[in-house]
Amino acid sequence: MTSSTPTAPSPSPAAAGAAAPTTSTASTASPSSKPTKQQSSSQSQKPSKPANKSKDAATSGTAAGAPAPADGAPAQLTPAELKKRAKAEKAARRARERAERESGPAGGAPAGAATPGKKDGSGSAAGSTGGGGGSKQLPRRGSAQNTSQNGGGGSVSGTGAAAAGGLEKSGGGSWGSGESKSKKADDKNVAVFGHLYGQQRRTTVAGAGKEVHPAVLALGLQMRDYVVCGSSARCVATLLAFKRVIEAYTTPMGTSLPRHLTTYLSHQITYLSTCRPLSISQGNAIRALKLAISSIDPSTPEAEAKAFLGEFIDSFIREKITVADQVIASSAAQKIQDGDVIVTFAGSSIVKQTLLLAHKQGKKFRVSIIDSRPLFEGKSLARTLANAGLDVQYSLVHGISHAIKAASKVFLGAHAMTSNGRLYSRVGTALVAMSAKERAGGVEVPVIVCCETVKFTDRVALDSIVVNEIADADELITAEPMQQLTGLPDPAAVTASAADAKKGGGGGGGKSAAAAAAAAANAAAESNTLAQSVSSPLTGWKESANLQLLNIMYDVTPAEYVDMVVTEMGSLPPSAVPIVHRMSTNL
Amino acid sequence: MAAATSTSAKPFDIVATYNELLRSDPDLTMPIAAIEALVLLLTHSPSSTISETLDLLEKSTAHLKQSIPNPIGLSAGTDLFQRYLITTLQRPGQLGPAGDFNAIRAHLLSNGRLFIRRAKESRDKIAAFGRGFVRDGSTVLTNGGSRVVASLLQQAAGEKGGPSAVRFRVIYVLSPAKGDVEGSSAEPEGMETVRALREKGVPVATIPESAVAYSLGKADVVIVGAEGVVENGGIVSRMGTYQIGLLAKAMGKPFYVVAESHKFVRLYPLGQYDLPIEQRVIDFKTEEDVADEATQQQQQAQPTPNVKSPDSSDVVDYTPPHLISALITDSGVLTPSAVSEELIKIWF
Repeated sequence: MTSSTPTAPSPSPAAAGAAAPTTSTASTASPSSKPTKQQSSSQSQKPSKPANKSKDAATSGTAAGAPAPADGAPAQLTPAELKKRAKAEKAARRARERAERESGPAGGAPAGAATPGKKDGSGSAAGSTGGGGGSKQLPRRGSAQNTSQNGGGGSVSGTGAAAAGGLEKSGGGSWGSGESKSKKADDKNVAVFGHLYGQQRRTTVAGAGKEVHPAVLALGLQMRDYVVCGSSARCVATLLAFKRVIEAYTTPMGTSLPRHLTTYLSHQITYLSTCRPLSISQGNAIRALKLAISSIDPSTPEAEAKAFLGEFIDSFIREKITVADQVIASSAAQKIQDGDVIVTFAGSSIVKQTLLLAHKQGKKFRVSIIDSRPLFEGKSLARTLANAGLDVQYSLVHGISHAIKAASKVFLGAHAMTSNGRLYSRVGTALVAMSAKERAGGVEVPVIVCCETVKFTDRVALDSIVVNEIADADELITAEPMQQLTGLPDPAAVTASAADAKKGGGGGGGKSAAAAAAAAANAAAESNTLAQSVSSPLTGWKESANLQLLNIMYDVTPAEYVDMVVTEMGSLPPSAVPIVHRMSTNL
Repeated sequence: MAAATSTSAKPFDIVATYNELLRSDPDLTMPIAAIEALVLLLTHSPSSTISETLDLLEKSTAHLKQSIPNPIGLSAGTDLFQRYLITTLQRPGQLGPAGDFNAIRAHLLSNGRLFIRRAKESRDKIAAFGRGFVRDGSTVLTNGGSRVVASLLQQAAGEKGGPSAVRFRVIYVLSPAKGDVEGSSAEPEGMETVRALREKGVPVATIPESAVAYSLGKADVVIVGAEGVVENGGIVSRMGTYQIGLLAKAMGKPFYVVAESHKFVRLYPLGQYDLPIEQRVIDFKTEEDVADEATQQQQQAQPTPNVKSPDSSDVVDYTPPHLISALITDSGVLTPSAVSEELIKIWF
């Protein structure tokens, strides 16, 4: 700074006065106006600064920038110049937005943690490090801005940088202490999926609106706790709950049922979506229900209208799910032949129905279930199939390459099918499909998806990042199913812990054996004895730095990996999904 | 009435009619022959109610499918006809369920005939669509005895070197003669087309199936016929088409399929061995088995040709959609994925 400030004023009178506005008009794309540059310099000085601070710096920049052209053309401004200034401001705004955007991920990324340290170290010499840091870091940010700093208004940058340095110094301090809490919460979100962290899932019914029906209240918690889990099950449960809502509903005075019921239902829907984001099938069902409500003639007597809606819900469930499932199961079961080894992932109800039906038809085949943490949906499927007399092999997803070697067909359930033919399903599905299609042996295994048309959506998914659902990361820790054989009751373990306790007693002095055991449990990671069964090494992950947990719910399987989609309207290639969706929604 | 139907239906043998139709008209495809046989069946059987008609149709269809070794092509026709009947009968108005059944029947029969005539015309339509794919100076590789391909190539050759004529060459893949048991007198399928093309001045080279990979380098485009187009856009066609498709894909040559839209079948094979027909192509034998068979053949000399002939001539394979560049049909040139759309349009 000390070296840069003397050099800065010399080009400034000429460059800042005249050059800056012209360059800004010349190209808005390369933001060479002073506010921009200042923005970039202040931004580079503190890459992780919060938004309001950057705004401050930017406004100071524009404020400093405004007088500069005023020197060149005092008082009267021609329309062209007004235009120029507007353009410059626009460029500044754009640059500010960009800077904010860039600073966003930097704050979340580990790099963000490194830079404040450096800043703090140089924080005592605030101004100088500000300038130095700026010039040091600029080359990273593109040569256009670098030249603009050299040529563009250096004087303004000097003052601006000083101001920004002052600001930044206080900002750096607060970053370390005051804002640490919110930052820490942010740190726990995996940056790529940052947009998916909405509000936390509701944990209690407390705070729910008074108009939310008890059936819906209960359903919300059931869905949250995966008691009601699976796209079809959630859809059916929602519709049945709404049926009860409609039965209990009375139209208030001065309004009509078709008008008011939709808004009344919206409260229920909002509550449900705070418990867990709605599935595609739920969305489609709700859309159909709302359409049915709005189609009711307002003059219809209320009892009649309610009976109609109850009938509508029943027939919707019957046509779109119950009977559809039967049709799908019977046509998918035709694809199972004697001697087949069917690989399936997690616990799809429609796949279960298909396999049971094929078994009932007397087909001799084996089933290999691939399952994954943390929901272990395949366990109940394995139990049901084994009880029915099928040969079942159960393994987790890391055993996929072994399971797929023997496979002759892969059956998958779906959460949704998108309009580009991709399968949106429980996370891990894509891995299973890929293993089946890219098998090293050469012969590829057909991948069959069983899916009701109510799960079709007109949305398009290119990856599983843009649209997804993030579940509570704590599920990854708490679901600790292993009953360790070498657990605490084991005599060797007891003696080991006793030895630890003795050590603790000898070293620390005055500690009880229990406390020593707890200490040993805490030190489990290094001592590597037994304590995992007591507490997972990941407990307290929120307090430990540099540790993020990601519990993603779904992934997207490319259409090329899917050979066939079995729906109640027939078997289709994935490319036919949009056509069928269009037809089934128009009907 | 039901008794009368059955007695009058008895003399009418649907299988014999179907086979007779196929034999009498060499231009007839299997689905069309099946539809024509069903129309004839309806004219011969004086059924009086809709459900009776449908029932009769269903039974005869099942019977026909069972007695033909490879019912894939045929089932396209019977399914289509049945579907057509049902939609016609469900339509409200004079010809709906409420109307006079005799009128309905007359309507059905006349429409059935119209359908057959249209289906026969579709070949010209396809040729008109497809001739653009045979460019001047190109070399076309084709196989089998597909009549659609033959008509396409002949139309592309034009009328005796007229101004619209395209100069092209043909590499014709000939498989061994049909029913080699009967003797070498029978000529391989497709020889007729070869002669017809040579007559029109198109240079034709005939190669055995084993020379496809060797010759494909000289070809610019592959055009094949199909017995049935399945739901995912793949085709069921005579044995050997799949390997041509694979080779064409490997060499980057466009692979076009020519098929009438009445050959679209509601079938979704997942692979070669998922076709709904029994094909004894791969037949593992030890010396013992061969000896056993020889003694059996000596005991009953008659049935052997019957067993052998479908094996050698009627076997089919399945070409998956990713090997097919486009399907040239009478409803336009379709990508494989558009086939399912067409099928859904027909069926819903």
